[in-house]
Amino acid sequence: MAQHFLEQAKADDFVAHLMKRHPVLAPHRRGRRSFAFEQIVEPSAVVLDYPRTLGSVKKFFLPARETLLEFDLGTNTATAPAIAPAPAVYLGVHSYDLAAVRRLDHNFLHGNPERNYVTRREGALFIGVSYTPDRHHFAGSVGIDPYDTTGSDIFLTKHPEGWIVDVLTPAGQDLLKGFKLATDARPKPKREHFTQHIYVPQARLNEIMAASYNHPVWDEASRNCTGCGTCNLVCPTCYCFDVQDQVAITVDAGHRERTWDGCMLRSFTEVAGGEVFRHKVAARQRHRVHRKFKYLSDATGQPWCVGCGRCTAYCTAGISIVEIVNRLVRDAEREEQVTA
Amino acid sequence: MELQTLKPGLETRELYVPEMAEITAVRRLTAMETLYTVKLPGGRDLGHRPGQFVEVSLFGVGEAPISVSSSPTRRGEFEMGIRRVGMLTEVLAGYGPGRKIGIRGPFGNGIDVEKFRGKDVLIVAGGIGLVPMRSMINYVRDNRDQFGRLIICYGSRSDTELLFTDELAAWEKDPRVEYHVTVDRGSEAWQGRTGVITTLIPGLDLDLPNTVCCICGPPVMYRFVVLTLRGKGLPDRNIYMSLERRMKCGVGKCGHCQIDSTYVCQDGPVYHLPDLAKLREAL
Repeated sequence: MAQHFLEQAKADDFVAHLMKRHPVLAPHRRGRRSFAFEQIVEPSAVVLDYPRTLGSVKKFFLPARETLLEFDLGTNTATAPAIAPAPAVYLGVHSYDLAAVRRLDHNFLHGNPERNYVTRREGALFIGVSYTPDRHHFAGSVGIDPYDTTGSDIFLTKHPEGWIVDVLTPAGQDLLKGFKLATDARPKPKREHFTQHIYVPQARLNEIMAASYNHPVWDEASRNCTGCGTCNLVCPTCYCFDVQDQVAITVDAGHRERTWDGCMLRSFTEVAGGEVFRHKVAARQRHRVHRKFKYLSDATGQPWCVGCGRCTAYCTAGISIVEIVNRLVRDAEREEQVTA
Repeated sequence: MELQTLKPGLETRELYVPEMAEITAVRRLTAMETLYTVKLPGGRDLGHRPGQFVEVSLFGVGEAPISVSSSPTRRGEFEMGIRRVGMLTEVLAGYGPGRKIGIRGPFGNGIDVEKFRGKDVLIVAGGIGLVPMRSMINYVRDNRDQFGRLIICYGSRSDTELLFTDELAAWEKDPRVEYHVTVDRGSEAWQGRTGVITTLIPGLDLDLPNTVCCICGPPVMYRFVVLTLRGKGLPDRNIYMSLERRMKCGVGKCGHCQIDSTYVCQDGPVYHLPDLAKLREAL
């Protein structure tokens, strides 16, 4: 594992070098406080020191809209469109988003490995980057620190004069071929810390969640919730999708389209005949939080919340997943004290 | 369980392309329900277990999960009893023999018939819940000597909504089937029992340790049927139930049919009651 140094002044050259090899996707500024992963056209437009992007890299592997089938209504036949492999470098990915990719991988691999997802995902190379936690990040509480290199081929650690470059895989090594990085080892800067925390370890949280089904917090947290589904859209581990047929205006052909769906939407559990299994917003909120901290962690042994803070940062009603969870933690501990 | 990770050379599957199957017969069951007989290319067997489902595809309309109503003992074709309740089933209602529809599946765990073999089989079916249970009932009838008694409790909203009336009549006559039926509200012509499905249970004479039960019906029914069966003394471990949820993909990817840490399309639709008791969202 080699370590190099990238001076800030050479950052654009580094990006330009990567672009000679592959398409490169990186965070770009999209508004005063918004950032988004987009394909780089101009190296200087890349922002490597950013708090979080609105959406994660999920959109490249599981597009928000995707054609599953193309059908001909005249012949009543359908074919799946060919999916082109998409080798690309994802530059400037935070550790929690790489953790989220591992969870998406699991969903689309286990049981029935899905061709669509795997074809898009296979050629991905990741250059991770450290970040300064803001008031919404709490990834430390789910065991993912800002310097976690897991999943990265190359990792960049922020330094006052540029970036410390850790090369972690042969593919990462290969990416650097033909680009001269400084080889002087610099001491890693002081570690940055989280200001937002869930106050118990994961194992304990699992028990607390298990006992929380009838807790008043679900109703309370849902009082202002409009069930808009923004938290689902911005979540890097939400993978639920809906499938709908779209018919061309000529009415002789069309396509079957998969789109992102969200468990906060009322229609999510609706079956033919009108039965809705999670009718109340509170039940949907409970499902969402349980899904991140209980249901999927029971099934996979990992929390499905990666602590990015997006659902809280972008909630249109100011609902905080950390506050919900910590409220459960506080009440569980209070109860314990009373019983003790 | 560990998270599955991407490895080079991984075998992937095309999960969403349906196979085209031909409707060979259409039989009207009631004003709302129709039975479709469907043949896969070359008359290949669907290869399902009783209680499994398929995703039915009409291009331009969409896909819907539909349970298989015929027993796997019926070769070459399979049947689906479909209620007109949504867009797809409404369009399907206009389809006759010769039309082709897309099929993906079979999906779900289905009924583990080994748990029933050698035992008395009790089927409790409410309304359209009879459609999937019919696959099990006919499986037992076609392998009659491998099972003990076959007891069927069927409840319907009214006698005009009873499904498979010719088969119900045959079950009634069959000395090896104990068939009980009740309707919530009978028409003037109805001479049978009136009352909800749970009223059929107290009168049953069951060999409790040797009876295995499968329940299928509308969501509201399960709790009451289970309470009545428990009141009767039937142990939970002898009870299975088939649940309905929105199942969009059938292959454990789309997230819609989640009940706690399980997916109905993978771990269900047939659940063992002791497992279900741990799932808060199930009933």
